[in-house]
Amino acid sequence: MPRSWATMEDFEAFLDDGGLVEADDAMPDAYRQAVFAFIEMHANSELMGGLTERDWIPKTPGLRHKMAVLAKTQDEIGHGHLLYMVAADLGVKTRTEMLEDLFAGRSRFHNVFHYRAHTWGDQVAIAFLVDAAALISQQAVFKNCSYGPYKRILRRIIAEEGFHMRLGEDRMMRIAEGTDRQRAMFQESLDRWFWPALQLFGPDSKPDDVLLRWHIKSERNEVLRDRWVQKFVPMLQGYGFTVPAPDLRWDDEARRWDVGPIDWAPLRRTLAQGGPDSARRIREAADNWHRTAWVRAALNNGAGEANGDGAFGAGDGSTNGSES
Amino acid sequence: MHVYEVFIKKDGRDEFRHVGALEAATDELALVLAREGYLRRAEGDRLWVVRRDHVIVADDGFVSPNADKPHRHHDGAAVAAHRKAARQGRQ
Repeated sequence: MPRSWATMEDFEAFLDDGGLVEADDAMPDAYRQAVFAFIEMHANSELMGGLTERDWIPKTPGLRHKMAVLAKTQDEIGHGHLLYMVAADLGVKTRTEMLEDLFAGRSRFHNVFHYRAHTWGDQVAIAFLVDAAALISQQAVFKNCSYGPYKRILRRIIAEEGFHMRLGEDRMMRIAEGTDRQRAMFQESLDRWFWPALQLFGPDSKPDDVLLRWHIKSERNEVLRDRWVQKFVPMLQGYGFTVPAPDLRWDDEARRWDVGPIDWAPLRRTLAQGGPDSARRIREAADNWHRTAWVRAALNNGAGEANGDGAFGAGDGSTNGSES
Repeated sequence: MHVYEVFIKKDGRDEFRHVGALEAATDELALVLAREGYLRRAEGDRLWVVRRDHVIVADDGFVSPNADKPHRHHDGAAVAAHRKAARQGRQ
């Protein structure tokens, strides 16, 4: 049953108490906008990530890995679908408006998809470092997210991202056990992708971050980033690779890795669509959308015809209520 | 296009559970998208999709009267206390 709150204080007390907001609740507009912007960026990132992954299907070595990349591409595009639906239900923009904004460069997606994957090693680095970074962020959101529909959709997204990360580590392990040439290729990829992956978490959270105050996110950016550093620095070293951070040091007292100062300028450039590959990525995503217009038209035209005996079939028919 | 709500169930256990929604032009496409979006790794083996505008939603206040019917509950406290006293009496 839709709920409403008389004041922002009441609403915040509800959130602090662990309350879950549902799509049809009369939530404060500032909350609606904040949660919408967060989910829209996640949806855009899944779509842009899926398109990157797709580029590598023909170039993936070996049938088994090719099939896995195909499945991962489908997963990512599927996540985009699920998230655009959750975002659209907030009533701020329709799915079409969100896609139009994305393809016109008016909305954001994660920094890592503003770079180009040059080699298979890059693709492995992305699958391992970037998917892990995304997973750490999503787990922290899932744990305590105050927006119910997003929290529930994250449960399945996280499960699938877990497969992707394991696949990434499996591939990295094979490269680490491979030839000197393979290892050199992966080291180059690591040099390119380590910092963008780390920057995915963003700069330290501001004290007045509404995403934290409203329990949309449950942990500060710097905490999540540190969790990733502590896990991945020793893991990369364990596989025999060099972490490309000149000031990297082990703090024996705090028992933790310190990567040194972080340059946030590259992240800011990607947020302004000025990353090294932003223009091409956005153009290709838009071209892809326009090229596939006939598929959507064909599917939508099907709606005007007899409905109930479609080419896809519908199981035993008992749940196949026909609409007229 | 219609919005469909998606429900899945593991055969032989659990209730149908609402897992999310999707947009599709027809019932058949809704089933396909539901399978590809929500059942990619055998998360269930029964699937319902229901057009959102066909879901019958109770009005505000329709359900709330039942939140105030204590006589429909029994916490069993008095009986439990009696049994406990009887057990202790036997020891």
